[in-house]
Amino acid sequence: MTQVALPREEGIINQLKDQFPEAIKETKVDRARRVTITFDKDHLQEIATFMRDQAGFDHVKGIAGIDYPTHKKIEVLYFTGSFSKPEIQDLVVILKTELPRDNPSIASVVSVWQSAHFHERETFEMFGVKFEGHPDLRKLLTLDNWDGPPPMLKDIKFPEMGQR
Amino acid sequence: MTTPPAERKPPAPPITITKTAEPSTLDVSVGPQHPGSGHLRMLIRVDGDYIVSVDTDIGYVHRGCEKIAEYRNYVSNIPHLERPCIIDAIHLNWGYVLPVEELQGVEVPPRGQYISTIAAEMNRIMNHLYWVAINAGVFSGHTTIFMWAFGDRDLFIELAEMLTGARLTYSFLPPGGPRRDLPAGFGEKLTKLLDYFEKRLVEYDRIFFSNPLVVARAKGIGVLKRQEAIELGVVGPVLRGSGVKYDVRKVEPYGAYADLDFEIPTYEEGDSYARFMVRFEEMKQSIKILRQALEKIPKGPIARKAPLVAPEGEATGRVESSRGEYTVMVMGDNSDKPYRVKIMNGSFRNLIALPYLIRNVHVADMPIIYGSLDYWPVEADR
Repeated sequence: MTQVALPREEGIINQLKDQFPEAIKETKVDRARRVTITFDKDHLQEIATFMRDQAGFDHVKGIAGIDYPTHKKIEVLYFTGSFSKPEIQDLVVILKTELPRDNPSIASVVSVWQSAHFHERETFEMFGVKFEGHPDLRKLLTLDNWDGPPPMLKDIKFPEMGQR
Repeated sequence: MTTPPAERKPPAPPITITKTAEPSTLDVSVGPQHPGSGHLRMLIRVDGDYIVSVDTDIGYVHRGCEKIAEYRNYVSNIPHLERPCIIDAIHLNWGYVLPVEELQGVEVPPRGQYISTIAAEMNRIMNHLYWVAINAGVFSGHTTIFMWAFGDRDLFIELAEMLTGARLTYSFLPPGGPRRDLPAGFGEKLTKLLDYFEKRLVEYDRIFFSNPLVVARAKGIGVLKRQEAIELGVVGPVLRGSGVKYDVRKVEPYGAYADLDFEIPTYEEGDSYARFMVRFEEMKQSIKILRQALEKIPKGPIARKAPLVAPEGEATGRVESSRGEYTVMVMGDNSDKPYRVKIMNGSFRNLIALPYLIRNVHVADMPIIYGSLDYWPVEADR
């Protein structure tokens, strides 16, 4: 496959690397229009503010948790995009960070991106990730009498659905 | 995971009407009934005829699609991942298949792309007709448009059945391309239907969209300003009704959209009526897209064989569903089942606008605002 230069994608990576040399751990251009940036979880608020104010990524499309029981970690992915800047509307920048599995906790980004409100509530419920500073961190989707652990964790198995 | 009945906590008592701290306000539970699209409950606090605040209580139709997806293989995931919004099944199907194809490195041949596009745009018209009938028509007390739109929707459903074999839940796009080619005589039938439907839209405009009663009830109600819409991260017709030109078909063209000429209707007002009109104009654009697609469709194979296994890695794909951007992240682990599927759909992203807009309005305006958002509880709950 021939390598195509992707100046916009590289530009965002370089911008973040210049601004946060310690916080950015790993960067990757997955393909045209998709960038994944792995960062240290303590710097989430600063990176989010920078992404919104300087880079123009004004909303969160969703927040995904991924559970890795063997590595004892939970990854949290923030899918960010832009509505207000037409030239970067087609980019999806995925901010990725990892949390310890026994007590997953990270700062809330609702004060930066209001759109993260329900996504953080969902991830809290499904993976048990505590978003410190979220204005209203309650259960969202599961039954009121669900007293089990967060259902999307990999050690919660539903044998009636088959083998995983 | 199920716990024995003795250990199970009793469900929370249903709140119907409670006195609150403010002597003049009342908390009223609206739902969980089925407002034409699935169950949700809103806990509204009213002061006289005004709604002071809303707390949305969703999850009544949560079925753990993302968890189920980890147990099923890539192909048998399609039927249950398109169920959350059966009236928009092609888009939900396509949104899931795009990242799977990306992981597997499969490219759909051009004819397959066109057939998918035709199916998707027919689906958009059917979805918007359902919305006109229920969420706009019935909620504003307009019975005629309900009958008309449902009648016309059935004509499209019949053609969809001719193309895919099913009326609503098509499972039409497995990885690699659509399951069937266009049947004989499909093009002529669709062209005839589009000619009829185009004339019909003029009548829709006369009886509903320009009807002074509808205009009076929807105009200026539930205003979402441009900046607010951007900050809340809403998508689809809700975003475009607030003046933001954003449509995945244009910003990241998939299928055959790059070859086709169409407009993205946007309105600056941001009120319920603007959202009504965005969907009305979108139906006209869909007619335009369908006509071009039928004319330009190339000859050749429709699908390629896709492997059953996907390699390790993550891929994010998105389509413009009838309710806005539908983003899916699929993560493979060298097996025939995904390690993780994350769905970010229009309804769940538009949910935040509900408590935001249904505030300081009359109780009677609530159905109009709710209807204008085209919120689909089942899609949001997954």
